Amino acid sequence: MAPVLPVVLPLQPRIRLAQGLWLLSWLLALAGGLTLLCSGHLLAQLWNLGTFLAPSCPFPALPQTALAAGAVALGTGLGGAGASRASLDAARYPPWRGVLSPLLAAGTAAGGGLLALALGLTLILPVSLHQGLEEGLEAALVHYKDTEVPGYCQAKRLMDELQLRYHCCGRHGYKDWFGVQWVSNRYLDPSDQDVVDRIQSNVEGLYLIDGVPFSCCNPHSPRPCLQSRLSDPYAHLLFDPRQPNLNLWAQGCHEVLLGHLQGLSGTLGSMLAVTFLLQALVLLGLRYLQTALEGLGGVIDGEGETQGYLFPGGLRDILKTAWLQGGTAHKPAPEEALPEEEPPKEVLPEA
Amino acid sequence: MALLKVKFDQKKRVKLAQGLWLMNWLSVLAGIVLFSLGLFLKIELRKRSEVMNNSESHFIPNSLIVVGVLSCVFNSLAGKICYDALDPAKYAKWKPWLKPYLAVCVLFNAVLFLVALCCFLLRGSLESTLAYGLKNGMKYYRDTDTPGRCFMKKTIDMLQIEFKCCGNNGFRDWFEIQWISNRYLDFSSKEVKDRIKSNVDGRYLVDGVPFSCCNPSSPRPCIQYQLTNNSAHYSYDHQTEELNLWLRGCRAALLSYYSSLMNSMGVVTLLVWLFEVSITAGLRYLHTALESVSNPEDPAECESEGWLLEKSVPETWKAFLESIKKLGKGNQVEAEGAEAGQAPEAG
Repeated sequence: MAPVLPVVLPLQPRIRLAQGLWLLSWLLALAGGLTLLCSGHLLAQLWNLGTFLAPSCPFPALPQTALAAGAVALGTGLGGAGASRASLDAARYPPWRGVLSPLLAAGTAAGGGLLALALGLTLILPVSLHQGLEEGLEAALVHYKDTEVPGYCQAKRLMDELQLRYHCCGRHGYKDWFGVQWVSNRYLDPSDQDVVDRIQSNVEGLYLIDGVPFSCCNPHSPRPCLQSRLSDPYAHLLFDPRQPNLNLWAQGCHEVLLGHLQGLSGTLGSMLAVTFLLQALVLLGLRYLQTALEGLGGVIDGEGETQGYLFPGGLRDILKTAWLQGGTAHKPAPEEALPEEEPPKEVLPEA
Repeated sequence: MALLKVKFDQKKRVKLAQGLWLMNWLSVLAGIVLFSLGLFLKIELRKRSEVMNNSESHFIPNSLIVVGVLSCVFNSLAGKICYDALDPAKYAKWKPWLKPYLAVCVLFNAVLFLVALCCFLLRGSLESTLAYGLKNGMKYYRDTDTPGRCFMKKTIDMLQIEFKCCGNNGFRDWFEIQWISNRYLDFSSKEVKDRIKSNVDGRYLVDGVPFSCCNPSSPRPCIQYQLTNNSAHYSYDHQTEELNLWLRGCRAALLSYYSSLMNSMGVVTLLVWLFEVSITAGLRYLHTALESVSNPEDPAECESEGWLLEKSVPETWKAFLESIKKLGKGNQVEAEGAEAGQAPEAG
């Protein structure tokens, strides 16, 4: 069986490998920790903006996967640092010998798998964010007036606070408010002719006005905020509805939130890519170190040259060995016969 | 009779010196914390200096910064002294400086305590500065065309939104000033002309407030204008409507913010002061213990005593006064001594 990708490792390069691996492992632990923090931050932002994202949007899966991937990377980094430190010290290496194989297997399977999944999600999910925000913001605008309805009483406050904090108005612009009834029926005077006219003028019986809530107002504007009768050129002095409105926030909340969340997921994606690279390097280095030290029988200071390799044989050979081992495990009787045959065979060549 | 005598053998002295070294380096960290607290307070005061008419007092953050830097310097020096204290050769060069250094430390601790007290006591001056500054700020709210004051509207609006407050003492302060610029008033309208004629100064006063006074938690869309006219709005009673506008005045809001900041800084400074006092006491014990070692060549064999003051407090105070008097009468004592010397010779 020819080993896959063998590398000859005398003592000095082995020590160099262990030292370099120790440094890389700490870098991996740092990258894993930063990924944890970044995904935690994104989860916190999503929790705050929960009302404005449709429940069917799969976007929250991204920070959750990234959180798990970051935790596994952190664990791999710490384990790798411990193992490489132990491999330089003959007294500390024996307990690590048994741990390394499972650690490498777990690191490759869990860590590699999660990281690849998270990277894939980073590329796919932000597209679904667009649709999720559309639906969420539309629902928020419609329920703005429902301060008496159980389940939606906080909708007005949350929408106002969103517009005040993120400096935006409506979904794509302030005119979105003209198409929604945002004044509750409780505060409409049924005897007022203007109210009756407005309600009768549209099919759904909604009280629609060309005005916006106060949270759309822009404090940077030089004049006190104009919120009502925004389509009427004669309603306010020196006000032309056809000019860009400086009174209100110009951006729609959809664009602002989309940019904000996509920026955060972009940062998270780059953190994940760096972590993936570091994890691959650390796992490769650990495998070479492990196989090189196994070749010496676990003795650290041996002066001999050994080979480090990725796999003891090609894929076919590994499958054959695994099949044979599995086969002999099911047939206990022939096992007892085999050792009896082997000693006579060994005697023959001597003779 | 010495004050608070403690016996020290070599082991105890070494432990004391090591403990003091560690405490001194922790105290350097505390000094850095004080410095950053002072810097933070200075930046917060600067951020809102427009509503305080640029006349706020920076005494507290400046003194915190100075005290933080001094604490770092003194404590790193003391750490060096404690490190050298275990080696008789190195300690010998520090010996003559130790007594004046301890005196400076005691003075520094007194200053630190005064700064901590100031953090708690100086909010009164801040209150009057805020009241005056906010009144001016609201007066200039409409002057968005005047160079130098064009950002006052933005500042006041952002302040009211961030601190959830309205006006100086309450929202009615806005009824007494003209906050809508003349540029946006239609002077051909009868209503505008009536309002301007109705008061002596010819100002356009309304019973309305800017949009930044609105409370998002209110269940109804914000009512900003005609606040005292119940019939102007459906189902509205201005005496019972609570949540529509922010009820707190900005002076009270800003004052409570800065007070809580300064109180927490005062507490931190007091804790640092206690730590410093214990370090000074420990240093004094180390100093006197090493002074009273009977055999400097072989300190490992000797037991020594450490104390805070050589005599009891009243005796030390008397001796201190005597030494000051002696300094004043230095020449006289010498002259008398010379005469006394000559008299026995003559006699």
